Amino acid sequence: MNGAPTRTAAFEARLKKRYAAERRFRRAGLGAILFSVAVLLFLLGTMTINGIGGFQRAELRVDLDFASAAFSSDPSLGDRGVQIRSLESQGLPQFVEASAEQTLGAAGAEQLNGDAWRVVADMILERPDILHRTSQVWLPATESLSSALSGDGQAELQPLARDLAARGLLERHFDPGFLTRSDATDPQMVGIWSALKGSILTMIVTLALAFPIGVLAALYLEEYAPKNRWTDLIEVSINNLAAVPSIIFGLLGLAVFLVIFPHMRSAPLIGGMTLALMTMPVIVISGRNAIKAVPPSIRDGAMALGASPIQVVFHHVLPLALPGILTGTIIGMARALGETAPLLMIGMRAFVATPPDGFTDPSTVLPVQIFLWSDEIDRGFVERTSAAIIVLLIFLLVMNGLAIYLRNKFEKKW
Amino acid sequence: MSPAILFLLALGLGLAGWLAARARAWSFRRRDPDVRLAALPAHYGWYVALWVVVPVIAFAVLWSIAAPQLVMQHVLSQPAASQLPPFGLKRLTILAEARAVASGAAAGVFNPEAQALVEPFRVALSRYNTIGIAATLVIAFLGGAWSFLRVKPDFAARTKVERTTMIVLLLASLVAILTTLGIFGSLVFETIRFFGMISPLDFLFGTHWGPDPMSSSADPSRYGALPLFWGTIYIGAIIAMVVAIPLGMMSAIYLTQYADPRWRQWLKPALEILAGVPTVVYGYFAALTVAPAVRDLALSLGISNASSESALAAGLVMGVMIIPFVSSMADDSIAAVPQAMRDGSLAMGATTNETIRKVLVPAALPGIVAGVMLAVSRAIGETMIVVMAAGAAANLSANPLEAMTTVTFQIVAMLTGEGSFDHPATLSAFALGMVLFLVTLALNFIALRVVKRFREAYE
Repeated sequence: MNGAPTRTAAFEARLKKRYAAERRFRRAGLGAILFSVAVLLFLLGTMTINGIGGFQRAELRVDLDFASAAFSSDPSLGDRGVQIRSLESQGLPQFVEASAEQTLGAAGAEQLNGDAWRVVADMILERPDILHRTSQVWLPATESLSSALSGDGQAELQPLARDLAARGLLERHFDPGFLTRSDATDPQMVGIWSALKGSILTMIVTLALAFPIGVLAALYLEEYAPKNRWTDLIEVSINNLAAVPSIIFGLLGLAVFLVIFPHMRSAPLIGGMTLALMTMPVIVISGRNAIKAVPPSIRDGAMALGASPIQVVFHHVLPLALPGILTGTIIGMARALGETAPLLMIGMRAFVATPPDGFTDPSTVLPVQIFLWSDEIDRGFVERTSAAIIVLLIFLLVMNGLAIYLRNKFEKKW
Repeated sequence: MSPAILFLLALGLGLAGWLAARARAWSFRRRDPDVRLAALPAHYGWYVALWVVVPVIAFAVLWSIAAPQLVMQHVLSQPAASQLPPFGLKRLTILAEARAVASGAAAGVFNPEAQALVEPFRVALSRYNTIGIAATLVIAFLGGAWSFLRVKPDFAARTKVERTTMIVLLLASLVAILTTLGIFGSLVFETIRFFGMISPLDFLFGTHWGPDPMSSSADPSRYGALPLFWGTIYIGAIIAMVVAIPLGMMSAIYLTQYADPRWRQWLKPALEILAGVPTVVYGYFAALTVAPAVRDLALSLGISNASSESALAAGLVMGVMIIPFVSSMADDSIAAVPQAMRDGSLAMGATTNETIRKVLVPAALPGIVAGVMLAVSRAIGETMIVVMAAGAAANLSANPLEAMTTVTFQIVAMLTGEGSFDHPATLSAFALGMVLFLVTLALNFIALRVVKRFREAYE
């Protein structure tokens, strides 16, 4: 203590500098996290803005005077495909074309989608009574007219699009069929139902294999396994599998599953088996943590009442650990749902125009459908791809939300 | 026949066995109230159910593997099959078509040759279907009857059931080892076949990559994978990490040291969402939005040869994808530093950022390094972003605006092409997979070691 002031001018200057550095550092931290959030918002924003258009399609209004044409639909023919073929042979396509020419003029009718008559056929099968009236229906336009309506594409079509739109004959409508149709070559006619159904079937297989195997393995390792070289080996391989790149699992599926089941290429069964091997380690790891969190007093209590080791685990430990295991399972399943690369390896990248009917039918899944559409250069496919991404992201958000909800609801302090 | 039917049959029969055996166990007690059963009635039920379900499922698995082969043999032995082209894609297509029509999956055939085979297929399918279902029933009946007859009051069903349960548990945990062996086996086997055609030295150190799946001879000068390794490292371990490490670290530091709890409640889930976005969506984002922006930026800066598929675009988006991963690892290792060290530093008059930079980060460094290694291992194994945004050209260049290709891109490209399974171009995908597998395994192993040593320091 020599009495000199502690806060000399040099000290003040240094302190000021240090505080400035502190503020800069803090701002850099905030900046880093805001950047991540901004990228996330930008990504979601781009997808939403592009994707909103993907749920719509350009449709032309056509007046159909069925009374003058005398079509008959015969429900006794049974199969939908047969009924549609019967309508086709009765001249429905020509009738739709002629009606379109009457309503829209020759140039406009040319821009009616080639598959528009199928939409009319579906309508007739749905409500046969429209055959007795004149009705105004909205039918899909061609892709070129659709892009002309949004102001790009072929320049010579743009006046026509403007004219039709001004007369109220060309409008963009919400297209509920996007969720119920399958893949097609024309962006105006595509839908995601077959990919969605393939995803659901694949996830069922994944869950049915990964969940029981994962839970049983976690129980064994946490409750019964002796500590020796073999169980060490099991543990090491589970931890390693959790870190193996997903495409390697695709190589495994290709070299093993497709050799055993050669005619099931691109079937949900094979896809589900491949993804199950990938998901299982995640379930084992989260399952072990959940089982570890169950206090030993529960086990001791059950043991003291005379339960066998199996009864202790299956009657007491497992029910208490189940919420935690479920949370881990949902997170693992969400990852599997968004996975693309391994499924490309086992051939789930084919053009699939009919929804799969079972676990062994060729099919595709939602992320692969997105990947396939992303290769198309049509402006229409860009919108459709973004729309499919929105559907996929909604699914994932719901799954992750469910996992968070379960975690909060069942979180227990012992 | 779909295997699902066999499995449902197995479960149904198992349920029947369970109910029957339990009822029988109850009936002992009803008949003689003094009898002491050696196990609970349900245990007898489980015992019989196991004896029904396990053999049936084992049979179903084997049958669903064997039946298609048997069907194929039957069809090929028919006179109609003698007109098939000898080998190759055409023969397979015809057989697949005939099979699809026979099983009702398709309405008609494209190739006229397939028409003659539909009927033999139909006969064979229905014959082996019948055999399969009959055998299932016989096996279920035998297993059920044998075990049912053993249900006696003094039979210790519980011990048997519990022993079986333990075996099932053990088998479940062996799946992990089997998967690892399966991965290793399939990679090694195909890699050895590949190295039989191309020398490993040419593959690992050659600088020209351009396999031609159509050429009939293996040209070793076309299988130099060095540009792929370079592209992978450049995109995944350099560009992506330049983005992910600082941003991830700073995010973690801000969230743990500075952020208001109310803010953290919102910011942390936002990072988690970023981690949950599927990679195909990132890939689409990179190809649709980031890559054109990068090219336009380069063009406006006067770089005329900027490619629309650039290493930079793929690396940037991959870096963003890795941010939440780095930040959660850094978060964990900073949180593991004892509070006393932080308090001590602050008590000496250091500002928060001096404490973080000079005390917390150095103390947490081994954990952070391990986290970065795991992040690198994930980045080099990432597929969809590079497939959609990085390009197919194998360039050995340091210019981030050029198109580059990676190991995972080439695996996808080689295996989704037209090449046959015996062609070196197809097999090279497995060799690349092997390299990828070994490298990621090594990174994970080192990371695990580093973390282990780090933990010992504060215990």
